[in-house]
Amino acid sequence: MTRIAAVGDLHAGPDSVGTIRSRFDDLSDRADVLLLAGDLTRRGTEEEGRIVAEELGDLGVPVIAVLGNHDHHSGQEARIREQLERAGVRVLEREGVVLDIDGTRLGVAGTKGFGGGFAGASASAFGEDEMKAFVGHTETLAAGLEEALAGLQANRADVRVALTHYAPVDATLAGERLEIFPFLGSYLLAEAIDRAGADVAIHGHAHRGTEKGVTAGGVTVRNVAETVIGHAYKVYRVGDSVGARRRPSGGGSSRSYSSRTTS
Amino acid sequence: MSGQQPEYMVARIQDALATDPRTGELELDVRIAGGRVFLVGAVATAERREAVEQVVREVVPDLEVLNELSVTEDQGPGPAEPVS
Repeated sequence: MTRIAAVGDLHAGPDSVGTIRSRFDDLSDRADVLLLAGDLTRRGTEEEGRIVAEELGDLGVPVIAVLGNHDHHSGQEARIREQLERAGVRVLEREGVVLDIDGTRLGVAGTKGFGGGFAGASASAFGEDEMKAFVGHTETLAAGLEEALAGLQANRADVRVALTHYAPVDATLAGERLEIFPFLGSYLLAEAIDRAGADVAIHGHAHRGTEKGVTAGGVTVRNVAETVIGHAYKVYRVGDSVGARRRPSGGGSSRSYSSRTTS
Repeated sequence: MSGQQPEYMVARIQDALATDPRTGELELDVRIAGGRVFLVGAVATAERREAVEQVVREVVPDLEVLNELSVTEDQGPGPAEPVS
């Protein structure tokens, strides 16, 4: 059994110094890993990236993140990623990582994801170049997520988690205005998750949405936007049935490796 | 003048809240009713709550602003839930 702490949409800014770290004081007693579902910063500046990286360093458990749309606003997402990774936060974009946690191999595949809407009311790559680019971005990231999830399987992950910022299903958007659903997520992400397989899909982005949902293929979905879960983070226990098929851990270390499946 | 219709004012306020460096907020509910601006939603800090109100007042200086934003405080960890 693996305890996965998750939260999204921290939106760190200059006024966040000292306010984020304290939320995770006893994290290592409660969880084995922390997943961050994007929008770590408010305006995506290098300064905000430095602030959130300092807040998230050395929390006592591995920290894995995807970036969100806010983290891209100032065009400094590469610098934000560098700062986070220097602080020990693993940032995923169409990539996967497998952690050995007390003998359970926890795999996380992540992408920011993007919008486009949901089956029956979704955008198509048709017409203007701008529209094709919009849908094409989602298609690219969804395909990369699927490949990264498949990579977890190839790396013998016992538990597989899909981590995105944008929502893969509309169920977890309940509470948001219907008109903005296409800007909150895409069914292409869910389709990728269902095709590749996952135990749980975790996302953020929809601040006024709903925590619980499921994909058409039956994968559990959780919207962990901070305003939705109403807590500093939620803890999801995954793989309660995995223990019986655990492999020897070779000492139970938290050794990790990653497999970038696409560029 | 058409630019002063409440519908357009709401859009201008939301654009300002998204793009103004003091705010960067996209997820707030803005409504104009009875000649007053209602702000609903959650922001991360008390400073941002005040900044949002300030930006809105600058966009629509002639309207009363009701700031009903909540601040996301440290609410502690949530309960553990088995999901698979």
